[in-house]
Amino acid sequence: MANTETQSILVVGGGISGLTTAIEAAEAGYDTYLIEKNPYLGGRVAQLHNYFPKLCPPFCGLEINFRRIRANPRIRFFTMAEVESIAGEEGNFDVTIRLNPRYVNEKCTCCGKCAEACTMEIENAFNYGMDKRKAAYLPHDMAVPARYVLDPALVKSADAQKVKEACPYDAIDLAMETKTMNLKVGSIVWATGWKPYDAHKLETYGFGEFPDVITNVMMERLAAWGGPTQGKIIRPSDGLPPKTVAFVQCAGSRDQNHLPYCSGICCLASMKEATYVREQIPDAKIYIFFIDIRATDRLEDFYVKVKKDENLHFFKGKVAKITQDTSGKALVLRVEDTIAESLQEITVDLVVLATGMQPNTSDSPLPIQVPYDDYGFIAAQSAKPGLYAAGTTRTPTGVAEAVQDGTAAALKAIQSIARR
Amino acid sequence: MSVKVDPKLMKDLEHFGLKDVNKCFQCGNCTAICPLSTPENSFPRRFMRYLQLGLTDKILKSPEPWLCYYCGDCSTQCPREAEPGEAMMVLRRYLTSRYDWTGFSRKFYTSERFEIVAVAIVGILVGLALWLFRGSNPNMEHAALNSVWPAPAIEIADLVMAAILTFFLLSNTYRCAKFIMGDLLYRIPPAIYIKKAWELVVHFATQKRFGECTDKMQWFVHLLIMTGYSTVFLLVAVFLAGGLHVIGLYWDQLAFQRDVEYAIWHPIRLLGYYATAALLYGTTYAIIGRLKKSKAPYKNSHGTDWMFLILLELTTLTGIFIHFARIVDLPMTTYVLYVVHLMVAVPMLVLEVPFAKWAHLAFRPVVVFLTQVKEEYFKEQKMLA
Repeated sequence: MANTETQSILVVGGGISGLTTAIEAAEAGYDTYLIEKNPYLGGRVAQLHNYFPKLCPPFCGLEINFRRIRANPRIRFFTMAEVESIAGEEGNFDVTIRLNPRYVNEKCTCCGKCAEACTMEIENAFNYGMDKRKAAYLPHDMAVPARYVLDPALVKSADAQKVKEACPYDAIDLAMETKTMNLKVGSIVWATGWKPYDAHKLETYGFGEFPDVITNVMMERLAAWGGPTQGKIIRPSDGLPPKTVAFVQCAGSRDQNHLPYCSGICCLASMKEATYVREQIPDAKIYIFFIDIRATDRLEDFYVKVKKDENLHFFKGKVAKITQDTSGKALVLRVEDTIAESLQEITVDLVVLATGMQPNTSDSPLPIQVPYDDYGFIAAQSAKPGLYAAGTTRTPTGVAEAVQDGTAAALKAIQSIARR
Repeated sequence: MSVKVDPKLMKDLEHFGLKDVNKCFQCGNCTAICPLSTPENSFPRRFMRYLQLGLTDKILKSPEPWLCYYCGDCSTQCPREAEPGEAMMVLRRYLTSRYDWTGFSRKFYTSERFEIVAVAIVGILVGLALWLFRGSNPNMEHAALNSVWPAPAIEIADLVMAAILTFFLLSNTYRCAKFIMGDLLYRIPPAIYIKKAWELVVHFATQKRFGECTDKMQWFVHLLIMTGYSTVFLLVAVFLAGGLHVIGLYWDQLAFQRDVEYAIWHPIRLLGYYATAALLYGTTYAIIGRLKKSKAPYKNSHGTDWMFLILLELTTLTGIFIHFARIVDLPMTTYVLYVVHLMVAVPMLVLEVPFAKWAHLAFRPVVVFLTQVKEEYFKEQKMLA
């Protein structure tokens, strides 16, 4: 090894793929930088209630990874960090990284005094906007790093001084500014993941207009202990548990007007969420409206198991329209049962839209040219010499495949720098 | 009962304008988004299936293609861009050709060359006839159409043409009814037909089902063309010589083809103006829409759609020109325009009404009516049981 600087690996994105890449590469003996846009690590996985294949809460899996990071001096991670530019070539990349201010330094003990003093409230992005949180906040209960964050709006407000004074540890630094950092790395792994397709664009489904039309990711938060309802599945409109729940599959997926592709995970996600409802509300009736069911590999067993539930009805037909009934309390779904050839209107209490995965690269592309497919995913694992794509930035997948892909990318990144 | 499958159906229907129906993955979104689709008569998804499978017999027996007014919601919302709305339109063309026992309609729809040649031949024949049977002493000093082609003579030609058209149209409509109703056509007691007869009149006159579509503009434009056309039809078929001249029942004061200038508020003149304005607006709107492909129903245009609109627009325009040439008193111009006007209008009527697009004026209301008759019949049967 000639030069340790160009022997290091940069991993962009601290979700499950990026975490895996960074840890695997570091454990193989390479210096790794992991940068994450959010103030915490774990990405979308941290927002799930339970995840496949074993349906355990994601924090047990994430916690193992966080411990591996702590135990390994070769990994350095930065939250609230974004890549501004990439120059150079394989073996010799110059990367500029912007570090956004957190306004809270390492002295923070998570005592929560700042949040108590803060009166300003902001939308809780972690819960997909289903509730509010203080503008001085811990991103979520299990956040790593366990450190509060101040919203820029709060720092600009008159409240800022009061919040700063409330901190007994002098951990709040209102003068913190955006910083840039230059890194020289040998190879890069891009793992900026996905976001749920914007359900507001599905104009016939009334998302945003009817409070009881939610999305699958919101359902995860509803079911999660740390969510807006402390894990109770209730209707956002009146707080009552729903007696009938409809899962609308392919909400904006396999649709030329929206995402033309299949995300491949929403079928199982809806079935999983259906079990959340069935466990909490024993007599709840559930419809899953589908065009085709995609349950591959061992997850097919889960499909078979769920299908045995008599209260769970698989209904073949794409929901065309969702309206409110005359009482304004229930939702009416207009859908054709394409097997029975019967046009029906089905009334339910809660609708969960199974929105698909849209790559973040579709609207925030890399600062360096790489090939994309028609939908904005990075077109190949080896995007360009020395630059590799991992996880859902490359193709929609579940957690297990994302972990595998992260490991694969780690190997690619190592091979790239080990060659010289 | 065995099911007959026609594997060549989709290929055959390409001539009628069919798009790639295999794009459809049978999600049913189109049927559920359609404001006119009902549990009893659901469409268009079912028809995409029939097309994919080649179920010609099922299509022939179905009333649904005529219950669709092509608002285009299904095509706009189709996740596969499979154009179910256009498929329904194609089925209407296909069914028109199947109802027609002469086989002429099929040729007209499947060959643009045949279509153009047919229109040209009829047009030339009309021109020749007008030349041959012109008055021996035309008034060349003043524009006086009756001096060249007296209205009573044209009226007789009109009536002959109307009789032929009616014969073809009604015989085709009978076949349509027979396909859709099957044995029920005679099994259902006449009392039910009479009870529902009013519906036939209402749907013929108003197309009120069209008004249930999301895009109301299409209904409005259709109403303009329909009422404009009906008005002018009335003027030409009934009031050309001021009534039925052949049987002596007429009044000169009401003659549409006249050599005197009526006062501006004269009913015949007012009706003429309404018809002209309505037709001109409606037809131009549709032509521009089709050129710009401004909305789903205008996105795909078959040769027969263009022929229909072009003939209608030309008939309207030449009608307007005759009117002004006559008022300005240019005899030769008036006479030439009159010939051109009829050379366009007659082929439009003779070919389009019984054999092509215009045949829907009979099929649509009749099918809506028959569907209601059938429903009523089953309701009564259920009550008896």
